[in-house]
Amino acid sequence: MGEKNITMEIKDKTAVLLMRENPNQAPDPYKMEELKGLAAAAGYRVLAEITQRRGRDHRYQLGRGKIEEALSYNPNKLIFYNPLSPGQVFNIRSEFSAQIIDKFNLILEIFAQRASTREAKLQVELARLSYDAPHVKNALSLKKLGEQPGFRGAGAYEQSMYHDIRGRMAKIRAALKDVEMMSEDRRQRRRELGFDLVALAGYTNAGKSTLLNALTNAGVEAKDQPFTTLSPTTRAVEMKGRRVLLTDTVGFIDDLPHFLIKAFRSTLSEISQADLVLLVADMSDTPETMRRKLVASHKALWDCSCSSPIITVLNKADRLSEEASARQEAIRDLAPSPVLVSASTGLGLEDLAERIGQRLQPLKEYQICLPYTSQGLAELSRLYDTADLLHVSYEDELVVHLRGREETVARAGLAGARRL
Amino acid sequence: MVCAAVSARVSPECIEKIHSVRLIPKIAKTVDINTVADLINAAALCLPGKVVAEPGDLYNLETWRASSILGREFKYPETLAERTAVELAHHISLAGRRLIINGRKEYHDGD
Repeated sequence: MGEKNITMEIKDKTAVLLMRENPNQAPDPYKMEELKGLAAAAGYRVLAEITQRRGRDHRYQLGRGKIEEALSYNPNKLIFYNPLSPGQVFNIRSEFSAQIIDKFNLILEIFAQRASTREAKLQVELARLSYDAPHVKNALSLKKLGEQPGFRGAGAYEQSMYHDIRGRMAKIRAALKDVEMMSEDRRQRRRELGFDLVALAGYTNAGKSTLLNALTNAGVEAKDQPFTTLSPTTRAVEMKGRRVLLTDTVGFIDDLPHFLIKAFRSTLSEISQADLVLLVADMSDTPETMRRKLVASHKALWDCSCSSPIITVLNKADRLSEEASARQEAIRDLAPSPVLVSASTGLGLEDLAERIGQRLQPLKEYQICLPYTSQGLAELSRLYDTADLLHVSYEDELVVHLRGREETVARAGLAGARRL
Repeated sequence: MVCAAVSARVSPECIEKIHSVRLIPKIAKTVDINTVADLINAAALCLPGKVVAEPGDLYNLETWRASSILGREFKYPETLAERTAVELAHHISLAGRRLIINGRKEYHDGD
């Protein structure tokens, strides 16, 4: 019975999509397509798409007539592509009694549906509260407009709602800071263990999870829908003699709101702290779309302060063979030498592994001395696992010639190792 | 105001080589698109390649409009390297402006 109700509810979710286009800019049908994809991912059945070319209406974002036209379809919700100000939300809700959300809220809705880990849930809640806080503040100020303090006023009870939101946001930020510190410690430990950290980044629905599965046989959930991955998933794999930890991350999207990046900072830090970033793009898109998505990805990487080397991976190469060179030419300035792969058929994965091996910083050679103590011998045993031991000589002290990461050698220093 | 131009060769992810840096100071009572375009043209005079500037600097004009006003190839930053180069130019122009203002102050204080 419960299942039936849920199915009915999903079927009943209908929406009309609205978008205002700037009259000074060329029309862009891709934006509406993307909004449609997002609405479908959130479980909405789209009844109509309405576009209007005009300057921003300060009361309703679009013209009044267009909103009335949208409501004539009797949708559950109106979904706006353009961000709505708190005042516009208030005006449309009060004058048309319509349920409305904008693109950012739609993304948050998808995130809220899919968040499964505690971290993801906290991030979604923080993003939602960051979005809601100014709206609540504005709604309160509108409510209190013209009233006198005292009897029958909005009073302290409602005013405290805003402060409650701020308090909750502070609590979530503190909890996420702990998670972030734990992630940082984990990354440091992994580097000490001799792993290279490689992050898979890219536009949403580019095939990052499928690529992770193809490279590591991980069995991570991968679907043809935006935002399947919300929490980073890491799997180990050996590539050309290097021990690599591949991390799948949340996808980017055009005009990704700043507060969303802030909320997902702990997830996106996997990208900024990686030794190498694989920027995955969907090659089956049209050249213009591919270009736009790569630019959006570069912008998101800039926002997360990524300074690691980047390899651009063009996924889904099996879907086109003749047009491949033309598409590469279209994005030459964004990706001069991309790697063509197909995560589903396994095409080009060998080349990708080769390129990862080339782009990772070469391991340095070190010569260290370890004392003949139980700690020193334990460290030697650990070094056998975490670095390439080139030569070990048993003299007055243990002299070890090895090739490995700086962090691994630094860790050996804790056990009394000296560099020669 | 001060306009800084950084002439650099870039790959998508990093600046490969900085060829030159220029600083053009200008005093104007008001700022409009023509003033900005003149400044950019003066700063990028004889430098080869495309001009890259932030959308805000050119009043968010479409690329083709900005390009036709400047009279040369133009684009907004797209890659990480282009963004880094623009940020670099921002830092240089700000530092140059401070240097000019503080230098002038110190010169007058010395008098």
